[in-house]
Amino acid sequence: MSATNTTAHSVVEPSVRSRRIAGAIVILYAAITMIPLFWIFITGMKSPPDSISYPPKVVFEPTSEGYCNLFTTRTRQTEEYVKALGEPETICDEITRRRNMVIAGPSNYWPRFVNSLIIAFGSTFCAVFLGTLAAYGFSRFRVPLADDLLFFILSTRMMPPIAVAIPIYLMYRELGLSDTRLGMILLYTAVNVSLAVWLLKGFIDEIPREYEEAAMIDGYTRMQAFWKVVLPQATTGIAATAIFCLIFAWNEYAFAVLLTSGTAQTAPPFIPTIIGEGGMDWPAVGAGTTLFLIPIFVFTVLLRKHLLRGITFGAVRK
Amino acid sequence: MSRNNTRPRSSWPLFLRRGPMEIVATVLIALGVFMLMQPFWITLYTYSLVTTLAGTVMYIIVTKFPE
Amino acid sequence: MTDQSSTRMNTAADGVAKLTPEPLARRMRSLSDRAIAWLFISPTIILLLAINIFPLIWTIQLSFTNYAANRPNRPVKDIGLRNYERILNDTDIWLAMQATAHFVIWTIVLQTLIGFTLAYLIDRKFRGHAFWTTLILLPMMLSPAVVGNFWRFLYQPQIGLFNYIISFFTGIPPSSFVMTGSVNLAPWSIVIVDTWMWSPYVMLICLAGLRSIPDYLYEAAEVDRASPWRQFWSITLPLAMPFIMLAVLFRGIENFKMFDMVNLLTGGGPGSTTEVASITLKREAFEKWRTGYSSAFAIILFVTVFGLANIYVKALNRVKQR
Repeated sequence: MSATNTTAHSVVEPSVRSRRIAGAIVILYAAITMIPLFWIFITGMKSPPDSISYPPKVVFEPTSEGYCNLFTTRTRQTEEYVKALGEPETICDEITRRRNMVIAGPSNYWPRFVNSLIIAFGSTFCAVFLGTLAAYGFSRFRVPLADDLLFFILSTRMMPPIAVAIPIYLMYRELGLSDTRLGMILLYTAVNVSLAVWLLKGFIDEIPREYEEAAMIDGYTRMQAFWKVVLPQATTGIAATAIFCLIFAWNEYAFAVLLTSGTAQTAPPFIPTIIGEGGMDWPAVGAGTTLFLIPIFVFTVLLRKHLLRGITFGAVRK
Repeated sequence: MSRNNTRPRSSWPLFLRRGPMEIVATVLIALGVFMLMQPFWITLYTYSLVTTLAGTVMYIIVTKFPE
Repeated sequence: MTDQSSTRMNTAADGVAKLTPEPLARRMRSLSDRAIAWLFISPTIILLLAINIFPLIWTIQLSFTNYAANRPNRPVKDIGLRNYERILNDTDIWLAMQATAHFVIWTIVLQTLIGFTLAYLIDRKFRGHAFWTTLILLPMMLSPAVVGNFWRFLYQPQIGLFNYIISFFTGIPPSSFVMTGSVNLAPWSIVIVDTWMWSPYVMLICLAGLRSIPDYLYEAAEVDRASPWRQFWSITLPLAMPFIMLAVLFRGIENFKMFDMVNLLTGGGPGSTTEVASITLKREAFEKWRTGYSSAFAIILFVTVFGLANIYVKALNRVKQR
């Protein structure tokens, strides 16, 4: 999305006025589209009464109650009991006691978040590793039925997740892989490897073959040429692919909700289950959602120049 | 995988050439999808799977034909 | 480009000069290119066979039986094509397909209109367009499940922001309508969220299409004194069409199998008004535990997606040639 690749329509340069109008409309759209995200962010900093007030509050006193509730489980106690307790140790203690509650222990959010991290990074590593090898194979050698194999690889990504989940559920039950991190890593690797192969094939196709050929004339084997010439050249492509795989695995919900329930559950199926007393605890949900989305914000900004490539399986470059 | 529109040089008859057959297969798939989701007539819905399947199989076979 | 590749060539050559072959590699030298090709490709193929193709074959096999996963001890009977017959005559599932159609068609229409308009405006290259483009792209990178869950809050009748904004502009009391809870509005509530999330996707692809149109066409049109309107219809739109088709097909496939956002936002309700295909499948397979029956339904969905995927790859190749 760089501003540099200009298609300056030399004769047909848009007029200043049309440009201003275009800019104004796009900025208005961007502002509207940001409202829900902004709301997620500020809801995380509201107190429960503020979050459900009418009319919705934009100006409010920020509190860390949402984050406290997100990370803890609490029990309601009598006022006398709370008063009898000593000085509150942390800010969360203080906030909970103000509501006549006592922190009973940590919530499941953090373990679920860690699961998300492990599964996302594990599957990304495997998918990019396998994908790089396969992409190099498809890019540099004449593979029989290459087009059909590539289509087969891509079509596995297109399958409806619920349709795949039925046999996977039965298979994992037989193999003892249900609700394990290993099972989820394997599954996400299989889904991501197709994207990795297609994207990386595009990136490797762009590296001229002459580099390897020159290296091989100098006495390198094919393996060495791959390892020491092609891989360093493909670093940007590999990084972009990895981020795409990471985002997919991080965001995935359908498999996670059907195949995990406890020890290996990731954050997306967990966040909707956060409830407070008498209904949803929206500040806690807002806080959990905010923390969950921050990595994606960072990645999107890092990835902005390669987004187009990623969403078209490497077909549209630039 | 390219679809060029140059005059075919081969002696293959039209119905065995790739271009037109590919279009027929594509239309068949699209028709099957339409039949699956249309709200008008349940008989069409009943035969949607067969149509889509026929189109898909045809597409796979036809893409192996010469241009 | 030539500049760049020559510098790349130099660094590669430097790297070559520095390194000396190792003994392990000498053994690897004996591997032919063909062996390396298969060595590199086969792990991926094996993984996909194990995690995708084997389960698929299993699903096909199950779809001919009355197997129920929650009763593994019940004798499994082979009932031939009866599951398919029943699904393809079942009016409830037909209705679910129509709910899917409503969702797919309206999201495609709205996303294409909004996406193309945005791309067209961004292509005017106003100041700061790169920044605003990145900002607009954010929603599509987020988790549909987690964000869909939060939209439930925005749709709350009295306290929700969405209802408040609607009432602010129209004067309708904010508690008088329930987006996710009423039969008339629920199908639109999922369309709105999906459009919000995925219009940027269409925008990004359309933008690539608009930028691929060579300038000389516009210059020639200008020489011929073609009106801007005429230029749009005879140059811009036809040449951007392959890209628009690509975006439409991909959104179509993705929304045909939409699960996560809908499951969290409405869960298929109220009743079954927003019960799109994947939700029905989940209910049959993981709530009613009719594994054989739902396997057959899964195969029907799979065949449809597979057929569309063929067309999608064709569209991809068409765009690639540009």
